Amino acid sequence: MDDLLVDFIAETRETLETLSGEIVAWEAAPSDRTRLDVIFRFVHTVKGSCGFLNLPRLEKLSHAAEDVLADCRADRRQPDEALVTAVLAIIDRIAELTNALESGDSVSDHDDAALIAALAQGGGQKTQQDEHAAPTAVVQAQTARGISRSIRLPVDLLDRMMAGVSDMVLARNDLARRLRESGVDPAIDAAFERLSLCIGEMRDSITRTRMARIENLFSALPRMVRDLSAELGKQVTLEIDGGDVELDREMIEMIRDPLTHIVRNAIDHGIEMPADRVAAGKPAFGRLRVSARQAGNQIAIEAVDDGRGIDAERLVEKAIANGILTAEKAATMNAHAKLHLIFAAGLSTAKQVTSISGRGVGMDVVRANVERIGGIVEIDSKVGSGLRLSMKVPLTLTIIPALTVSAGGRQFAIPRSAIEELIRVSSASARLGELGGAKMVNIRGRRLPVVVLAPFLALESQCEEHELTMVVLKPAGGDHYALAVEEVNDHEELVVRPAAPALMACGVYAGTTLPDNSHPMLLLDPAGIAQAAGINTEDRMAEEVEQTIEEIADERAPTLLFRDLDGKERAIRLALVERIEEVSATFTSFSAGRMRLAQEGRIVPLMSCCTLPEAEKYRVLRMTDGTSNIAYAISEVVDIVPMDFMFERAIDPGLIAGVALVEGRPVEIIDSFWLFAEAQKEGTAPDRELLCLLAAGDDPWARQVLTPLLRSGGYRVIFPNTDGADQADVVVMCDEGTTEPPATADEVPVIRLTAHQDQAEPDLVYRYDRAGLLETLRTRTERRRRAR
Amino acid sequence: MNHLYLIVTIAGHRVALPAATVESVVEIDGIEPVPLVAPHVAGLFALRSRVMTVIDSAAAVGAGRFDWQGQAEAVIANCDGHGYAILVENVDDVVEPGVPVTQTRAVMSPGWARVSCGTIEVDGDALLVVDPDALVSINSFAKAA
Repeated sequence: MDDLLVDFIAETRETLETLSGEIVAWEAAPSDRTRLDVIFRFVHTVKGSCGFLNLPRLEKLSHAAEDVLADCRADRRQPDEALVTAVLAIIDRIAELTNALESGDSVSDHDDAALIAALAQGGGQKTQQDEHAAPTAVVQAQTARGISRSIRLPVDLLDRMMAGVSDMVLARNDLARRLRESGVDPAIDAAFERLSLCIGEMRDSITRTRMARIENLFSALPRMVRDLSAELGKQVTLEIDGGDVELDREMIEMIRDPLTHIVRNAIDHGIEMPADRVAAGKPAFGRLRVSARQAGNQIAIEAVDDGRGIDAERLVEKAIANGILTAEKAATMNAHAKLHLIFAAGLSTAKQVTSISGRGVGMDVVRANVERIGGIVEIDSKVGSGLRLSMKVPLTLTIIPALTVSAGGRQFAIPRSAIEELIRVSSASARLGELGGAKMVNIRGRRLPVVVLAPFLALESQCEEHELTMVVLKPAGGDHYALAVEEVNDHEELVVRPAAPALMACGVYAGTTLPDNSHPMLLLDPAGIAQAAGINTEDRMAEEVEQTIEEIADERAPTLLFRDLDGKERAIRLALVERIEEVSATFTSFSAGRMRLAQEGRIVPLMSCCTLPEAEKYRVLRMTDGTSNIAYAISEVVDIVPMDFMFERAIDPGLIAGVALVEGRPVEIIDSFWLFAEAQKEGTAPDRELLCLLAAGDDPWARQVLTPLLRSGGYRVIFPNTDGADQADVVVMCDEGTTEPPATADEVPVIRLTAHQDQAEPDLVYRYDRAGLLETLRTRTERRRRAR
Repeated sequence: MNHLYLIVTIAGHRVALPAATVESVVEIDGIEPVPLVAPHVAGLFALRSRVMTVIDSAAAVGAGRFDWQGQAEAVIANCDGHGYAILVENVDDVVEPGVPVTQTRAVMSPGWARVSCGTIEVDGDALLVVDPDALVSINSFAKAA
């Protein structure tokens, strides 16, 4: 708010200065309409600002003056000398209070009422107002006027300064190069160094002048929300947070429209009518929270409402109806992809087109605008309970960390944010191949479509295929692909300017930049290249299918090589091995017809390829298939290698599924299926642990902190959408009851956790209440425990 | 008040550019070509710290390609916030015509029709007034193609 106040003071003072002449002129000719208008506008502006800044005293004064002047303007009242004097007294008081605001002094308010009363019609007060107008002038003279430390500048001037400094930096670089080449006197070098440093500092401070608080953007929201909700008959409370985050002025302008649109959408489509909200069990007042925070060199701006959210299924229906999507394609989409349809062009979910939003242009434009400035838009919706839209934008438009690459003898820049890794085609982990005429690269088992930059840009390639370097890119809102370039040059912080429309039109450039060598360079747009090369549409599906096939074929899955008790080298898929541990022989016993390992209060079958030798300790692989646990005794671990599961099959089913070559050695592959089947056959009851479904999404706290606690408490933890999730004995949720529990078998108890200690109640457990949590779990699962 | 015009030669024709849109006239050498763009974009050029988009004026009016000999004169214009260097064959003079711009009555080729916004008379010659905005815009070319 401080900034706004300073702005207000500066503005008011500025207007007062220009107004002083008008006031005198008005005094001479009270019927002068243009003068009246100027003064009216002034008090009107002051009144508006004061209401916003919460300065009730100034507001009251300006409001009173405004009323009287409005009467004059509407010819309801003739301005006479008494009225002019009274208005002038008020303007003087406004000036006085404004100065006091800045200097922090107080001005007595005992005669404010008298000043206002003086405005009232009738000559009776004339003497009274004369009395009061005089002391005012005296007080004003006493109030020391603080020295203002802020000035207002046209942005144009700042831009010119910025351009000037950029010129200077380039000239410096040029000079530096020439000095290096000619090998001058060290004294000159030192002097140049100093100059160079000054120029650098100057650039930094001028860059800072371009930064502004995001408050400038947020300050318009309260009014907008108020007007919109009034128009729509909705009730909305707006919370704003993080207004002190600083951002490039230009950037603020760039996100103004997207943010406005998001807020409009939230009120128009998101938040329901009060009656509907009450019917849905929500408070009548909808909540809209707009916040900004800095995360590294990005600014995250979020708008969260507690409205009805976006129904992804309805989006899909609509997209199909509008011909944007085919039903077959829709069937293959996941919930996230469906939700992202909101960004598709020509799709509006509003049932009716309203004057506020819902014309089918909107979210697609929002995303386009945000992506144009190198940002991303994310969406998260819970049907019935709200929507979160977040924009992440770079701190400044102008400087982007980039990688410079060469293709066809030219240099190009690629924004570093989109780059995942660099890999040479000649290296062992990348294999270049072809698929139906299109180039593909296989990087550690992941197949990616390839765009070779030089031919793509219709340039002549300057090197052989095997000399290419792959830049693995993950464009915002797209899928991975590899861009093959001839050379990777350097990481640079580049000052990027938007390119001319004619350049942007071809869709593969994001901007232009001028590196130190003074040769203009183009910044490539990874998403645009993917689109222009046609790899983000049909091929993306093909790639997904291929990945699925790969998963099924388990090509080159990490595999554990170990030496078995009989000395042979064997292999087992690492995914099955939970851990490898040493157990003391005292915990193993031959009981109930087989070797068993008793540990941590549980008994698991202990398998081995032959009879266990006499020893003090055994090394065992603890394996799980998701429901039952077994241990397999081994001699030692050899290695973990990626391995194709292509092998010669064993003649008879048994412990050994077959044999494969690993680095030239024959290695027997353990038939894990047989192993578990064997353990099962013996009648090992599935685990006695209860199954706890932890529905917390990707919440790291749940995964890292809660999971071990639950495990140590004797629960087996599974996550939603995994095998066996529907057989859970108890569901633990970490969302304080904002979402529906996932589908489970009937009558599964649900326990919810809260992060706030004071909210705890019987079914809402404070998440660090260890004893309470375990106790609740125990009591709620008592019945199922007995059923087992 | 009459406006000033800069007389230049584009594709062999003397034409007038409204001087208000012209920032300066520079001699440029060394253009960085830009792949994949419309033919009327000759490339990029660094004017001090600013990157200019170089416009091939001949291509923009649909009259072949500019005869680039390693260096050429260019008119620097600022259109819609972007800096452009419009390659011209010759820069002649700045004139202040006595009569206002009139509508062109002749039937022009489509390329010229798109970029011109009238005719002025200079020393008895009728010269086309060329609108730099139309000259540099992508639409002008797309329609011409």
